[in-house]
Amino acid sequence: MNMRVREQYLNQLWQLLSPVPEPLRKEWMYDYEEHFRAAAEQGRSEEAAAAELGDPRIIARELLLGYRVEQAEKSGKVGSVSRAVFATVGMGFVNLVFVLGPYLALLGVVLALWAVVAALAIGAVVAVIEGLNGEAFNRVQGTFIAMTLIGLAMLSGAGMKSMTRGVMQMTIRYLKFNGRIIGGSKR
Amino acid sequence: MNVQFKKGVLDLCVLALTAWEDRYGYELAVAMSSKFEVAVGSVYPLLNRLTQEGYFSTYLQESPEGPPRKYYKLTPLGHSHLISQIKEWRTFQLAVDELIKEGVER
Repeated sequence: MNMRVREQYLNQLWQLLSPVPEPLRKEWMYDYEEHFRAAAEQGRSEEAAAAELGDPRIIARELLLGYRVEQAEKSGKVGSVSRAVFATVGMGFVNLVFVLGPYLALLGVVLALWAVVAALAIGAVVAVIEGLNGEAFNRVQGTFIAMTLIGLAMLSGAGMKSMTRGVMQMTIRYLKFNGRIIGGSKR
Repeated sequence: MNVQFKKGVLDLCVLALTAWEDRYGYELAVAMSSKFEVAVGSVYPLLNRLTQEGYFSTYLQESPEGPPRKYYKLTPLGHSHLISQIKEWRTFQLAVDELIKEGVER
């Protein structure tokens, strides 16, 4: 039973880190394997070594958060940034209020603005159809309206693209700042 | 100690420990957790982050018993970061001391 503490601990940590690709996971695990070895050399028991490491779930959460933020920084996509935001929520209630809340609100605004872009594009199609078949205006008018709407959609779409990127970058910067402040204490 | 305050200081301390000699993870982790209320386990992610930020480089070195150990070495970038962190800390410390003197020890 005593001999199994180390193995149990390392196995649990390995499982908890399963979202991370294996090479990186192995590199991380090296530190914890070495910890048990070094502790044994100092004449400490496996139980004592495990106890001073602390809860593997907390360690895994910290490591995963760092990983998610790094991934988000690399890709800058909404999906990976959102995953990083969700990873912070695991670190405590404070983050639910100060990270997830504002992020969802911001995402809502971005989504609404994208909906405007989509509406402009759909409006252009409707104008063409109305110009061909409808009575509201003739073909020339319909074409003119459609061209105007497409132009507006393209302009606002380009603007929204860079705005979305900006919001994502800002979120990552905030996460990095926040990560430095919260987490990692003995309970 | 207040968590927010501690987190910033931990970076400084772990960098300071390696100023004159390279150390391996366990040494750093135990030294840190004996002074501050941090679990040894969360020192390793900290070392990881500082390595990623370019303040540490790591290398493996044979140990008398068992497999090689991972050593942490302060990079030139880490060194200049340490110096600037120390300066910041000194200013902060001075300000706190002055206010304590002014408010409490008069």
